[in-house]
Amino acid sequence: MTKPAAGSLAGMLTMTKPSAGSLASRSTWVSTTSVSSSGKRIQREMVELNLDPPPGCCAGPKGDNLYNWVATIIGPPGTPYQGGIYFLDITFPYDYPFQPPKVVFKTRIYHCNVDSAGNVSLEILKDSWSPALTITKVLQALQSIFTKPDPYNPLVPGIAHLYLQDEAKHAELAAEWTLRFAK
Amino acid sequence: MARREEEPKQSPRDPKVRARESSDPVKVVSNGTSGDSSMFSPRFKSVAAMAGWDEESLLIASLVVDDTPERQVKYKKRSDLHFKTPPTNSSRRKRRAQRRSPISMPVAVLNLDDDEETKKDESGKEKEEPQIIVNKEKETRDDKMAESSGVSCPPSSNLPCLDKLRDELSCAICLEICFEPSTTPCGHSFCKKCLRSAADKCGKRCPKCRQLMSHSRSCTVNTVLWNTIQLLFPQEVEARKAAGALNSSGEAVRQIPEKAFYNTRSVQSRRASSGVSSNGEMTMRRRRVILSQDEEDDDAALAIRLVQNTEAEHQNPEQGAHRSIRPLRTSSSRRIPSQDGDAALALRLQREEFMEAFRVDHGQSGSSLSLARANLRAMTSRATSHRATTRHL
Repeated sequence: MTKPAAGSLAGMLTMTKPSAGSLASRSTWVSTTSVSSSGKRIQREMVELNLDPPPGCCAGPKGDNLYNWVATIIGPPGTPYQGGIYFLDITFPYDYPFQPPKVVFKTRIYHCNVDSAGNVSLEILKDSWSPALTITKVLQALQSIFTKPDPYNPLVPGIAHLYLQDEAKHAELAAEWTLRFAK
Repeated sequence: MARREEEPKQSPRDPKVRARESSDPVKVVSNGTSGDSSMFSPRFKSVAAMAGWDEESLLIASLVVDDTPERQVKYKKRSDLHFKTPPTNSSRRKRRAQRRSPISMPVAVLNLDDDEETKKDESGKEKEEPQIIVNKEKETRDDKMAESSGVSCPPSSNLPCLDKLRDELSCAICLEICFEPSTTPCGHSFCKKCLRSAADKCGKRCPKCRQLMSHSRSCTVNTVLWNTIQLLFPQEVEARKAAGALNSSGEAVRQIPEKAFYNTRSVQSRRASSGVSSNGEMTMRRRRVILSQDEEDDDAALAIRLVQNTEAEHQNPEQGAHRSIRPLRTSSSRRIPSQDGDAALALRLQREEFMEAFRVDHGQSGSSLSLARANLRAMTSRATSHRATTRHL
């Protein structure tokens, strides 16, 4: 999953935000520096992820573009998702880390917090995002919803309902999906 | 550093004064050389009184009597200089003196020498000045480096826990070593800039623990922490500083809100008087910003003015250094920046003469004639600037 540094640098260069170019837009503080600072921060996170990856996860830029990442999470043991490999797309906004990254599951999963399009309902990826959070922490949070789904903030109410009503049935279905889509 | 915050407070007068002078630079130059007592208008007198000169000493100075009460006059001048820095509380001054005296003193002396040199050969001044400024910049930087490396033990060799320290002292937002760390009421530290951006974009909550934080606290630099960081990671800090200097002017201006205020004000005034080409304005501003990061107050500001002066002369080389005979209000848009330059020149002259007077005082010798003339010139320039502002008002 590691990418050559030159490639990511090239990605950074191509990612300059389109600006109006007028004096007025240049004198507004936000646009000019946020791109480079977000790029710097993403690069730093990449380095740290490579140096010390959290167990069961890995992530890195998809191609030359530093702002588009792909991540994998291995289904934690002791859960119906055990043994599955889940691919995720991570898209960083240009004012990252002040806006949360967008995370989409590319692998189908039977989970009440992940809908069929792969969207995730995770609080820290929405309102409770903090610029002090990193991709490592996001991946760990995603791992934690594998082990502990949150049926009270569901994206798929049917699955949440089943999870609350009949956890064994839910586990069975989840394991079946894991076998079908994630292995 | 905290000094940067004190800086604008330290010299709140000067930018205004300069702005006034820029509006009426011709008067400054033409009147400054004449030693006639008939020029003492009531306004002039009132300004002189404000500056600590009574009428008698004015007359004495203008008549150039040999037995001018030198001591008295000088004492008054000196008190006037003291008055230039507004009365701050003594603790701040003490702190500042303790911390910065080894650096700020030599820089001031250096600047004097530069000024004198440039005065001696007026012809080569245009080429020299930028270089001098650069040199000064370098020297202050070297001084800082010397200070930090001299006080600190060489990093990474005898500190095995440096990696842990690096983690501890890095900003959770940009993941780099905190640059000008600002500490929230809940005790978490971030780069000042990062914290401000976070407060702007993500609400006024601590990024670490989501506690509410007040806005005023989030803007102050934790001096102890910042000094510690500078001692422990001098390379990182230097690199960051350099990057900040190269970065866009807007962000740098934002770091120094009061300075930014003055900058934008002067820019606006210039813009109001004429349509200055935006390109030149941007470069000027950038230069000013770069220099203002080198922590000198008055001298840096002066140097910046000088840069502008030379810049303006590059723009229109047909005009010489002394443009004393010139219509006050020029309609041409290209001439306005050089008017600014004139003001800088006048200011520099005034300052130079003040310093000369001081040197004479220290040496216990010198001609009272030149001294008196210097006094007069300085005062007339000040008075004319004041008159200009009152007229504008």
